[in-house]
Amino acid sequence: MAGHWQPDFEQLVDEHQSMVFSLALRMTGDRGLAEEIAQDVFLELDRHMTKLESPLHAGFWLRRVTMSRSADALRRRRVRGMDLWVQLEEKHGVQMEECSSPETARLAARIDRLLATLPEPQRAALVLRYQEDLTPEEIAETLDAPLATVKSHLQRGLKLLRAKAATQLKEYIRGV
Amino acid sequence: MDEFERELREAMERRPAPPGLKRKVMERRWQLRSRQHRRMVWYERLAASVVLAGAVGGAVAWHHAAEERRRGEEAKQQVFTALRITNHALEQVSAQLEKQDRNKE
Repeated sequence: MAGHWQPDFEQLVDEHQSMVFSLALRMTGDRGLAEEIAQDVFLELDRHMTKLESPLHAGFWLRRVTMSRSADALRRRRVRGMDLWVQLEEKHGVQMEECSSPETARLAARIDRLLATLPEPQRAALVLRYQEDLTPEEIAETLDAPLATVKSHLQRGLKLLRAKAATQLKEYIRGV
Repeated sequence: MDEFERELREAMERRPAPPGLKRKVMERRWQLRSRQHRRMVWYERLAASVVLAGAVGGAVAWHHAAEERRRGEEAKQQVFTALRITNHALEQVSAQLEKQDRNKE
């Protein structure tokens, strides 16, 4: 019920900063840009605090706005002709330090790299499915897209990712 | 869910946010709020100035209209006085003419 839940801004930032940052990072592939998007999303959250109805609603709202801001950022970058993922190796170097084991980190980095080669709608669907563990229905609601489209993006994205992984990750595993 | 999807889920776990993210958000939030506060104060001052200017303008206009009315009233009284004097003079002339007519008879 609206008005019964009193959200605390600092607590919401604490709870969701990892989710918001990770979504933006996986969508843009740029840590600096992802951090900037995360800051903007939380500042927008501050302006919409009175409209939030529950902790679940806050999470849904944050996911939706983060995906939308990330798409906007990617569009702006495309217009400016900048190539994302240019410094991917360097960024993965940073990410590797954050993961539990070097092998997991390297695998995660490779997966992220493969993910980055997918078309944006497929990447968005896969990120929400496997990072956020959302159902196709929830993804459709978050991305404001028809369920059939989301299911199609998930299937095609997964198929493409599987095909890419079959070649590239095998080479990687052989190389380790 | 097959092995690949399980690995995918494992590889795609959330990354920790950069250490300074929350601090930066809170700083920007504070800056935005103080800017909004300054803007609000500025708007309040602007609104107060507009109200004051309106009140002064209204008072001047009212004073001007009152002065116009007073002058109009004064002019009207002068005209009435002039008419009264003229009327009095004409009555005197008329009385003299009647007196002369009676003397001739």
